Amino acid sequence: MSSNSLDSLPLSILVGNPNVGKSVIFGLLTRRYVTVSNYPGTTVEVARGLATFGKKRNELVDTPGVNSLVPMSEDEKVTRDILLNPGVRAVIQVADAKNLRRSLVITLQLAEMDLPVVLALNMFDEAKSRGITIDVGALSQLLGADVIPTVATQKRGMDQLSKAAASPRIPSYRVRYADRIEEAVAKIEKLLPETPISKRAVALMVVSGDSSIYGESKAFSKVDKAQIADIVSQLEKEYGEPLGYFINRTRISVVDRILNQVMASRESSTPDWVTRLGMLCMHRIWGLPFLAVVLWLMYEFIGRFGAGTLVNLLEGKIFGHYIIPFLVRLADKTIPYAFLRDMLVGRYGIISMGFTYSFGIILPVVGTFFLAFGILEDSGYLPRLAIMTNRIFKSMGLSGKAVLPIVLGLGCDTMATLTARIMETRKERIIVTLLLALAVPCSAQLGVMLGLLGGLSVKATLIWCGTVLGVMFLAGALASKVVPGDCSDFLLEIPPLRVPQLSNIITKTGARIEWYFKEAVWLFIVGTVVLFLLDKSGGLVLVERGASPLVVRVLSLPPEATDAFIIGFLRRDYGAAGLYMLAKNGALDPVQIVVSVVTMTLFIPCFANFLMIIKERGLRVAVLMASFIFVFAFLIGYVLNVILRHARVL
Amino acid sequence: MERERIEEMLELLWTLNETGHQELSLVLEKSKDQDAKAVLNDLREQGLIDDADGKIVLTENGQAEATEIVRRYRLAEALLSHVLDLEDNEVMDSACKFEHILSPKVTESICTFLGHPPVCPHGKPIPRGECCLRSETEMKPFVTSLTGVEVGARVSVVFISPMLHSTLDRLAGFGVVPGSEMRLHQKSPSYVVQVGETTVALDEDIAEGIYVKRI
Repeated sequence: MSSNSLDSLPLSILVGNPNVGKSVIFGLLTRRYVTVSNYPGTTVEVARGLATFGKKRNELVDTPGVNSLVPMSEDEKVTRDILLNPGVRAVIQVADAKNLRRSLVITLQLAEMDLPVVLALNMFDEAKSRGITIDVGALSQLLGADVIPTVATQKRGMDQLSKAAASPRIPSYRVRYADRIEEAVAKIEKLLPETPISKRAVALMVVSGDSSIYGESKAFSKVDKAQIADIVSQLEKEYGEPLGYFINRTRISVVDRILNQVMASRESSTPDWVTRLGMLCMHRIWGLPFLAVVLWLMYEFIGRFGAGTLVNLLEGKIFGHYIIPFLVRLADKTIPYAFLRDMLVGRYGIISMGFTYSFGIILPVVGTFFLAFGILEDSGYLPRLAIMTNRIFKSMGLSGKAVLPIVLGLGCDTMATLTARIMETRKERIIVTLLLALAVPCSAQLGVMLGLLGGLSVKATLIWCGTVLGVMFLAGALASKVVPGDCSDFLLEIPPLRVPQLSNIITKTGARIEWYFKEAVWLFIVGTVVLFLLDKSGGLVLVERGASPLVVRVLSLPPEATDAFIIGFLRRDYGAAGLYMLAKNGALDPVQIVVSVVTMTLFIPCFANFLMIIKERGLRVAVLMASFIFVFAFLIGYVLNVILRHARVL
Repeated sequence: MERERIEEMLELLWTLNETGHQELSLVLEKSKDQDAKAVLNDLREQGLIDDADGKIVLTENGQAEATEIVRRYRLAEALLSHVLDLEDNEVMDSACKFEHILSPKVTESICTFLGHPPVCPHGKPIPRGECCLRSETEMKPFVTSLTGVEVGARVSVVFISPMLHSTLDRLAGFGVVPGSEMRLHQKSPSYVVQVGETTVALDEDIAEGIYVKRI
């Protein structure tokens, strides 16, 4: 059964706050035919699968976690949009039974939309052990919808849930807002066309300041938006605070009233050891050893195992000994044109270099990164990591979240630039992109560089490390002042620590590797083709001749080093290897080695990275960034050269 | 004689005395009352002031009453200026009216709400009331920013000062709204609060805008 045939089935939707065990329930309800794909036009992953409720087959969609259905983030917008689909058969809302307050706010919104809802109170056992008792029957009666206690990790309550989902009810509970708001909502309702969800819900969204809803359906094209905006702005004048916030507060106070009737909680006893561990992980002192261990494990797994063992196996053995020689022999026999043959399997060939690069080197690095990232994500450590690093990144105008793309950058800057999307504001995305291109060396060159510097002295390594880190902080601090826009507020939920579910991580990693194939591989191929054409046309020699004086005069390096810099831009590890060869042949003295390695680290990593910057940030920003980095890298190289010559430390 | 005219005069005498002046001539010059002499006579009859070589001195009772009036005025100034963010001229006009109508109980509540402020917005001392003396042993103002609360304290949110709309909404999404109860878990490397079973990390900038009282 292909995913397309799911389309003909009635739609059921899984919604809920983040970290309530939604994906586990999704896995249990669907079991087969699951597809994970990006929601159109976004980076948000949405899983779809076949689920049978009663005897009826449904397409079940797992939506991103939300805290409100008035969208504040791309995730929340995707979930809201999916709910706007016509003919929704059932909405299964998964709630964390411990955190009912936050879940019921969403239930009330779903009720407002006139959608048929089943509420799953997941982690019911945890709630019980924390002294929280919920009167499920009373809650169900109050809401006018089925409420099912579940423990997804133990598969408890799944049969009842799927039975209830076969015939869900539209909750009868309705929130009444302040008279002024009700009047305005009634007026707006009259101006709205028929929509898949209730007009009242749409009117409340509009009053809450969510104009994005207009874009979701053609039905809204004829709406008198000016008149509605008038009603809303009239109302806004009467309230001192944002209307959306006021409406939300009303909902929360209604939820508190409901909870008073159905929930009782004992003063919590002493926290269990998992909670304690979770707290320790973000302690300002005790959190540090955990941070160090996690970073070290990541380095061992991605840097040593992924970029070392796996790359050696894939690039060195499988590609180097079997696949590439085989393809070269094949091409020699079947392709009569030398140019075409070179283009495919020559020194800078699409297959011999481009494929080896994207599949033999980058794939194991990003693959291990995605796996590690998935484990961090599902274990709940990720936000704690962000807390521990928030201070460091704040000085660069970033929040602690930036640690992720930066760490991935040590694997592959091109992919890391793509993941800068996780930053919340445009300003932060630009700063992260800049720092990656400028100061984060990728694994392809890191190994060679460390080998080169390590062979020299510890002092040389420290000078390199200190200079690059210093430049990173300096550039970050400067960029946070210069780049226009807002920094995001650091405000995030800390989920409890959990043991990750293996199946979940494998699905996620698979989807992300697919993402890498779609979004990044072609850039490496394009980069290879450009290098090939430059080489064939003699352009490489020309560029070399032009750049040579710069390298010689500014950095006091031998002219042969130019070659390493240019090749380094087109393929980063070749650049570092070029320097390595020069040093080995005795063409560079210690100062020259340090200066050239620092300059190459600061230089834009590679052509694929440059293309990715254009793709993600636009041509203008990319050109500005590249010019800045070019000048800045050489400037730092020059200054370092003068200082080292003068101080005679090496 | 209306109560208000008497209180205005007592306030004037107290504030002049604060700067070291007690001269009758200066009192008559500064008073805004149409018939200042009549008011002074009235005060004398009530035993609130005494005369001594061209100077007017508050008696013990007069001093006590005047202190209460000044305290009400300056607390009203602090409330209007710090909490309601009003302009200075509005603050002074309204505070002038407030000083005559605030009951002792309301005065004490305002003082506690503001955390027993020692000075008015213009930097002049606010006379201490009973509630302040009590608080000096307890040392716990009623409402403070989350940043002023010690780690481990259980608090309830009183109000959240204006910040970005989206930040307010996200806080609400985590259940942090006025009335919510929470526990401050840590302040460093960033603020962490526990709201029900939800743990939320936030920047100091945001924590500063969340006003809470201990429970």
